[in-house]
Amino acid sequence: MATRRLERKPALAVAMTAVFFAWLYLPILAVALFSFNDKKSLSAFSGFSLRWYDDLVHNSALLDSLIASLKIATVSTVGSLVFGTMLALGLERVTSRRGRVIGAVTLLPLVTPEIVTGVAALLLFTGIGLKLSMTTVILAEITFSIAYVTVIVRGRLAGIAGEVEEAARDLGCTPFQAVRLVTLPTLLPALIGAGLLVFALVFDDFVLAFFTTGVDPQPLPVRVYSSIRFGVSPAINAIGTLMLLASALLIVAALWVPRLFHRGTSSLDLITGGDPR
Amino acid sequence: MSTPPSPPPSTPSVSLRGLTKDFAGATVVDHLDLDIASGEFFSLLGPSGCGKTTTLRMIAGFSDPTSGTILVDGEDVTGTPPHQRDVNTVFQSYALFEHLDVRGNVGFGLRRKGIDRRTIDDRVGRMLELVELGDRAREKPARLSGGQRQRVALARALINEPQVLLLDEPLAALDLKLRHAMQAELKAIQREVGITFLFVTHDQDEALSMSDRVAIMNNGVIEQCGAPEDVYERPTSVFAAGFIGTSNLISGTWSRGCVCVAESLAIPVPGHQDSAEGDAVSLTVRPEKIWLSDLTPQMFRVPGTIVATSYHGATTQYVVAIADGLSLTVLEQNLPRMRADDRWQAGDRVELGWLPEHTVVLR
Repeated sequence: MATRRLERKPALAVAMTAVFFAWLYLPILAVALFSFNDKKSLSAFSGFSLRWYDDLVHNSALLDSLIASLKIATVSTVGSLVFGTMLALGLERVTSRRGRVIGAVTLLPLVTPEIVTGVAALLLFTGIGLKLSMTTVILAEITFSIAYVTVIVRGRLAGIAGEVEEAARDLGCTPFQAVRLVTLPTLLPALIGAGLLVFALVFDDFVLAFFTTGVDPQPLPVRVYSSIRFGVSPAINAIGTLMLLASALLIVAALWVPRLFHRGTSSLDLITGGDPR
Repeated sequence: MSTPPSPPPSTPSVSLRGLTKDFAGATVVDHLDLDIASGEFFSLLGPSGCGKTTTLRMIAGFSDPTSGTILVDGEDVTGTPPHQRDVNTVFQSYALFEHLDVRGNVGFGLRRKGIDRRTIDDRVGRMLELVELGDRAREKPARLSGGQRQRVALARALINEPQVLLLDEPLAALDLKLRHAMQAELKAIQREVGITFLFVTHDQDEALSMSDRVAIMNNGVIEQCGAPEDVYERPTSVFAAGFIGTSNLISGTWSRGCVCVAESLAIPVPGHQDSAEGDAVSLTVRPEKIWLSDLTPQMFRVPGTIVATSYHGATTQYVVAIADGLSLTVLEQNLPRMRADDRWQAGDRVELGWLPEHTVVLR
């Protein structure tokens, strides 16, 4: 009897879950739906069409911004992976009190309001006379993303026995070879996870990009924001839908790529703190 | 029964000369001198913090000695980095490379040496047979059990045929039953490959049952070094007697060939000549050497009162008071001829005795 009662579905919990998902995803679904509307209205769906996608393909300014954002995200991802991993490896070898303080300081960008980071970057770049451009956006984004990479990589490093690198040296590796042949391959799932996360964060980052971008080409989020001021075009919905699709693919990749390496925990678990097993 | 090896006739596998390590002002390893013969199974036994793991790490090259020299096969390697030493380590955590399969792990050292692929495959295959992992060659370490991971770690180190294999408490993470099985297996593998093993452990049973020689370490120095039978039967220091097995520690004053423990109790120590009248002397007698029945005329005998008994299946342990403030632990086999009601109870008056040669004088 007791087990049968447990098997009954708790109606309230099911309803709450449904409301939660509706709350979370209905607005996004609306965007996707209205991207296929055949009229300009954002409130009445009158018929299916691909005209806004067609608009998008022929809007060279928007496309330039998309390409600019992809470039920014790619370069920032690579840059922050390189510096963030080096930082994590370095901090791992530091045991002194001062080293631990430095380790804590590297986490500050995670909790600093982004607008502060944005203004600070703007002041720095103008102060040293650097012309605002795609380069300045990338510099700012790398600075901002290093913390994420460092946190994720250090999380994985802590899970590796400290003796693994010693084992590599014991078996004939120079210290550099030990990092290249053992430490980095072991870290690969974390690196992939961190890379995907940083790419997603930077690609649609508005605040930093807004403060540090030059005139042309503007990163996509900035372009979208400024075009809204001149009246909302459903082409924005089309772009939103495409970005949503791309993000979903990235998340799926972040979840599944580490499993291809037969590793116990995926790198996303390091971010979410969960373990799906 | 293995005979204790005589002093090494050829170049020792490992020689330590005045090896010292200071950490933040504290001396962890203190002027260690040690020769380990080629092919020997040598154990460093001691409590945690005694300096045994630090000694191992200095031989492996992960830790630089403060002073002293390390020779491997007669060659001074004190300043040589780990990857150039003819020494391999089995780590306590196993430290397997999770991104490589079992073959990749075991063949790692050979690939570093630039040996050709076919030879590597061949030797990896044979090594995996030796540790009975032939059918797991393509598994990732994450899918192996603790005992299998331990054997991968062993194979990965052994395959390089080092001058000496360092083992840092390699069995500590295994459960008791598996640990006993691996002890026997490890010893058999060592006999088969003939490589010098330097084994670090805090488990006296492990050290005694596997080693050719055991060194008992405490506070960075070697308290006693010898064959397992020697260090157990003839401990030379209070620490050595107390650390290995249970021991009865008896202190008294030397007087006319006896150690006076109490007014009414003087234990004769025939043949002992190193103490002068009035010297403080410590003795030990192993619990299983003391008899409660079947006493013979050759034995030193003393009356006592049973204070406590505890039943351990194969043995029964008694605590017997023989003088004010002095109780001895006695271990008696539960032999087939003994019935349950033969056992002594607390409060029983008994006579106990032991042969004079089982009285050991400690320094």
